[in-house]
Amino acid sequence: MIGKILLVISWIYIIFGIIGIFRFENMYSRLLTSSKIDTVATFTVLIALLFYTGISEYTVKLLLIIFFLVITSPISNHIIVRSAYLNGIPVGQKEEKSWKLW
Amino acid sequence: MILIITMFMLVIAMLFSLVRMILGPTTWDRLLALNLISAKTILLIAIYAVYSERPVLLDISLSAGIIGFLTIALFARFILFGGRTK
Repeated sequence: MIGKILLVISWIYIIFGIIGIFRFENMYSRLLTSSKIDTVATFTVLIALLFYTGISEYTVKLLLIIFFLVITSPISNHIIVRSAYLNGIPVGQKEEKSWKLW
Repeated sequence: MILIITMFMLVIAMLFSLVRMILGPTTWDRLLALNLISAKTILLIAIYAVYSERPVLLDISLSAGIIGFLTIALFARFILFGGRTK
């Protein structure tokens, strides 16, 4: 029951992540949105699977995947931001759009 | 049933990330979309392992996570040291 509620909550996070990618105008804003909301959606789905299966042979492997993603998910976002900043992308400046969705 | 709906929404999210990858203005937008698709792939394989009751597939999910992290790190360093930026 808790697993199903957490899966329904994770749908909301996935939809907000998709909206946030297309909504903002700066590259750093898009990276902030994706690194926060998408990471939360990932952990919500994995913890929901932990509650969904109970104590079985899935438990150790799911905990291992959660432990790996806790370490590497902020690091990969940090690597992308560092690479963009050292190449001279300006911070806090809107880029002009050639297309418009909203 | 609820697992099938979650997998369907993950596939739709991967398609929208692919749209962001196609029309992203800079190279780092494309790296961002690659990171998102990698995370969604881990989730998709994990949910399918629970759905089809085969826990061996979780090992494939973990190795997909390792390959995604190494891909992001190597591409970021390649672009930083002399790759094509525009």
